[in-house]
Amino acid sequence: MSTDMDNASRRSLAALLVGRRTVFLLGTLAFAVWPLAFNPYLAYAANLALIYILLAVGLNFIIGFAGQLVFANGALMGIGAYCTGLLMYDGGWPFWLALPAGAVLSCIIGLLVALPALRLQGLYLALGTVAFAQFALWVFIHWEGLTYGNAGFVLPPISFEAIGLGKDLGLYYLSLALVLVFVLIAYRISRSRVGRAFIAVRESEVAAEALAIDLTVYKTIAYGVSALYAGLAGGLFTALLGVVVPESFNLFQIVLQFAMVIIGGLGSIAGAIIGAVALISLQELLRGFQEVQEIAFGALLLATLLFFPGGIAAALKRWVPGWTETHHQDGGGRS
Amino acid sequence: MVLAYALSSGLTTGALYALVAVGLVLCYRTTGHMNFSHGELFMIGGFLAYTFHVMLGAPYIPSLLLAVLGTFVLGLVTDRTVYRPLIHAQPLAMVMATVGFSFLLKGIGRHFWGGQGEVVTFPSPVSPAPVWVLGTPVFPQQLLVIAGVAVCMVLLIAFFQFTRAGKSMQATAENPHAAYLVGMRVERIYALTWGTSAALAGVAAVLMAPLTLLTPDVGFILLLKAFAATILGGLGSMAGAIVGGLILGVLEALAGTYIHSSVQEVSAFVIIMVVLVVRPSGLFGARGLRRV
Repeated sequence: MSTDMDNASRRSLAALLVGRRTVFLLGTLAFAVWPLAFNPYLAYAANLALIYILLAVGLNFIIGFAGQLVFANGALMGIGAYCTGLLMYDGGWPFWLALPAGAVLSCIIGLLVALPALRLQGLYLALGTVAFAQFALWVFIHWEGLTYGNAGFVLPPISFEAIGLGKDLGLYYLSLALVLVFVLIAYRISRSRVGRAFIAVRESEVAAEALAIDLTVYKTIAYGVSALYAGLAGGLFTALLGVVVPESFNLFQIVLQFAMVIIGGLGSIAGAIIGAVALISLQELLRGFQEVQEIAFGALLLATLLFFPGGIAAALKRWVPGWTETHHQDGGGRS
Repeated sequence: MVLAYALSSGLTTGALYALVAVGLVLCYRTTGHMNFSHGELFMIGGFLAYTFHVMLGAPYIPSLLLAVLGTFVLGLVTDRTVYRPLIHAQPLAMVMATVGFSFLLKGIGRHFWGGQGEVVTFPSPVSPAPVWVLGTPVFPQQLLVIAGVAVCMVLLIAFFQFTRAGKSMQATAENPHAAYLVGMRVERIYALTWGTSAALAGVAAVLMAPLTLLTPDVGFILLLKAFAATILGGLGSMAGAIVGGLILGVLEALAGTYIHSSVQEVSAFVIIMVVLVVRPSGLFGARGLRRV
């Protein structure tokens, strides 16, 4: 009896020390002091990682929670980037106004894409959204009157003087704050009625309908939320790079973002965050070696599906106390 | 004159799209999965032929056969490394796995055959001077492509009609459990399917190489065209894939000639999106295989 108690209290102590909440706090702290402690390049890489956390968490809504095989995330990120960039460049809007406007616009476009996509399932949905992603890229390249074509355009300077910071630090802390807010929102959504409805849709659309879950409504919400995250991330991405060019949003985004959510563990928010940080670190290590990046990300995606279908989230759940992600699809899509 | 030229070049590329699409559909019908790395099999096939023919100086026909053999083996590799381990997984995992595999192949292609933007040219085995057919100039390579595709189609039909392996493949596509119960070695048939499907992509690549430029990124473009052809014809229909491929090729050529050359690139995506919205079952109305 007493050993049981000891075990239980030991486990709760361990969960307190290495549990999700503690690690999140430490991670936030590490991200907060990172740009002060390291050189500008490492600060840039960390900022990129923060932006990809938003993308991966957003993609996880539609693929991991709602189970919809959608390839459009890279394109929606591009739409967010172009909307934010063009509102600043052509419209003369300030960044703090253009960023939310760009996010809302890509959310609206994401919902417009959702309208036809709602009728499609499985493979048809995948093919339709692949076509959409390539169509968006084609528009970025060929609608030169609006997008300035292949050469793209340079963003007007962004100032954070109002809060007493330079451009790099200001953008970094803005990204960090947005990541914190939107990850918290993601957890709130996942634990709400909406989040549970997503899981029901993922597990069986027929069963979900039998439980009076309106497929149209909840799928539309999933598309809208993930487009909002992608658009916001696109706006931040464009501010970080300072230029908007179509090739940032090409096919490689698909494998990069898929790898993040799959390696992190489908349906796990913590997994998506860890996957994003890990893969951006890898990408920066392999900077300049395009073919090595393609081989590495392709092989990692494949190997995860073959050998660790639950991803990082499954490993954490198994070996570290306090890391149970309730909506995590353990088995990574194995039926 | 312009119209006739557009039609002849459209039919040529259309025939190639049809060949790639037939390989894709063959695999889809038998295994129930769409191979997102099919385009990269095409790309590797083209570069293998380039290696044998241009770099090593082998004659055209042996290079063609070696390249097709190479893609056939690559198809078997896909079966062993991607399909068989994930055979009981959900479609999502299989799609993701083939996407991962396609990038792996693309990176390998880029490593061995040049970086982004670099293209290699492949000399035509026949004379480049046009011949006149019904008052229209036609390039001999175009005739070679159409003849090659026609031969492949006839061989494929003969394979399905007259050989044991072909009939077993159809039986497996119809119902794998029943095929297994009557003693067919379903796993071997799957392997053969992946190999044949990849080999068709290899043939298409060797036929296409002299007409266009090879780049490591060509695979995905071809994959999208093949998707468009299969969706247009009806997912899962072989005849649909052929007709869809030809229609796509001609439409592209007409759009490129009469609207703008950049419209040529986009017509495949537009076709996919429009067909999926208006009539997801495609022209031939073949219902996709339904596996629960």
